[in-house]
Amino acid sequence: MNAANPTVSGTGIGLRQPHYREVFERLPPLGFVEVHSENFFLEGGASMHALERARAAYPISLHGVGLSLGSADSLAGEHLAKLKRLVDRVEPALVSEHLCWGGVGGVHFNDLLPLPYTGEALALLADRIDHVQATLKRRILVENLSAYVECRHSEMTETAFLAELARRTGCGLLLDVNNLYVNAINFGFDPVARLAQLDASSIGQMHLAGHTVAGDCLIDTHGSLVSDPVWSLYEQACRRFGPKPTLIEWDTDLPALDVLLSQAAQADAIARREVVHA
Amino acid sequence: MPELLAFETDFAAALRERGRTPAMQRWLAGSGELVESRMAIYRANMVAAADKALASAYPVIRQVVGEDFFHGLAREYQRHTPSVSGDLTGFGAGFDVFLAAFEHTASLPYLPDLARLEWAVHRAYGAADAPHWDPSSLAAVDGEQQAAIRFAWAPGTAVVCSTYPIVRIWTIHQPGYDGEFSVAWDLAETALVSRDGFVVTVADCSPAEAAFVAASLAGAPLAAAADAALAALAHFDLEALLGRALSARLICGFTL
Repeated sequence: MNAANPTVSGTGIGLRQPHYREVFERLPPLGFVEVHSENFFLEGGASMHALERARAAYPISLHGVGLSLGSADSLAGEHLAKLKRLVDRVEPALVSEHLCWGGVGGVHFNDLLPLPYTGEALALLADRIDHVQATLKRRILVENLSAYVECRHSEMTETAFLAELARRTGCGLLLDVNNLYVNAINFGFDPVARLAQLDASSIGQMHLAGHTVAGDCLIDTHGSLVSDPVWSLYEQACRRFGPKPTLIEWDTDLPALDVLLSQAAQADAIARREVVHA
Repeated sequence: MPELLAFETDFAAALRERGRTPAMQRWLAGSGELVESRMAIYRANMVAAADKALASAYPVIRQVVGEDFFHGLAREYQRHTPSVSGDLTGFGAGFDVFLAAFEHTASLPYLPDLARLEWAVHRAYGAADAPHWDPSSLAAVDGEQQAAIRFAWAPGTAVVCSTYPIVRIWTIHQPGYDGEFSVAWDLAETALVSRDGFVVTVADCSPAEAAFVAASLAGAPLAAAADAALAALAHFDLEALLGRALSARLICGFTL
């Protein structure tokens, strides 16, 4: 199983419905495009057709927001079956999920909720990832989370938890640089030191996005330009991990396509520069 | 109870009921005040997710009641009918039932029917693509066998009956609509929802046509579906309806 289709490299953008027409007309040079898996759990229609058009032009990254790997009571088999149908249909270059839980006791919050980083959670997540990878017959990437609360009973850092998950299951990691920065500010740690807990070979993709400042807290809104400190942290990550497929993720208050493309070009320039200097 | 399950159960309770937040101080770092303010972020996210999902399925109702009121509706609907899946495509299936019982929208009695229409449109957008089919194969059916024809309708086809002018209300709220906005409120309308290619259409149809399509959609053979229509209207023109349905590719096959 490969962490990434060997043809995936460079930078990509999140492909969202208001940009479909322009992207298909211009076909800007991009390493890949990413979509939310759950938006394509449909039988047919315009959305599925758009995904097929995108698939014909670019490698696709399927980014899941609803599988809820960390739900303590059960993994949603029906959800995984839908994801498998989509993976079989699209043959994506990358498939990713989040290190989170989203529902328990039959109720779903449709959010990415933080886990305690304990041995118990590690064992559960490793089992779940094994099951998902066996079902999809491929390696998946697991993404670090932005969070606003921290568990008192965590026994390790999130990055150490992810590194151990990768070691146990062979999964790859999706390093969201903005999420790491958001958490560093929200919980007061040194994000560069956290990078040192991760192994370059486990990193299959990186994410860049904007956040919002709300009082004492940064909120991961995906609705603005990548901030300067996140660009700096991305430089550090490129220096440490080498070039990795990198995504500009923008979900709310979507700007003109050219804004996304210019952010992608900036990421590309940093990756090339840091790799030359590495 | 295993620790992780206990943590998630407490977290879930605090999301759904603000008064349960103090229980999270056992699990979360920081002062009680910090835990309250940070859990409020998750609570707002939870409502925003419901609002966004409902808004994508019910854009007309959102315009009718306004964004702020709709946000409140989403919060109440979520409280009443929580999401049960990480896939929000089906969230909103019970919005019509919720609206019918919700006292603060009682002054807009057509909302439940409008919700059923918008849900049918939402379902039609993501329905399977209709198979290619050549209608000329129908002509080969013997006269004696015609009564037994069971039509296959294009995925997404639906009939929504109402005692309110729901087709008119839906139409004047579509993006790009540039006609006049008068509504004959005492008009009862029945909507025929269909998809041709990727385009979803909402058309007004007569009660007899609706009876025929509804019966046929439910699997009735041609004769029984026609009887259902004739019961609604004695001089129902079956041929005209079938002609329109075939030319609009609403019918995409049949069995005998």
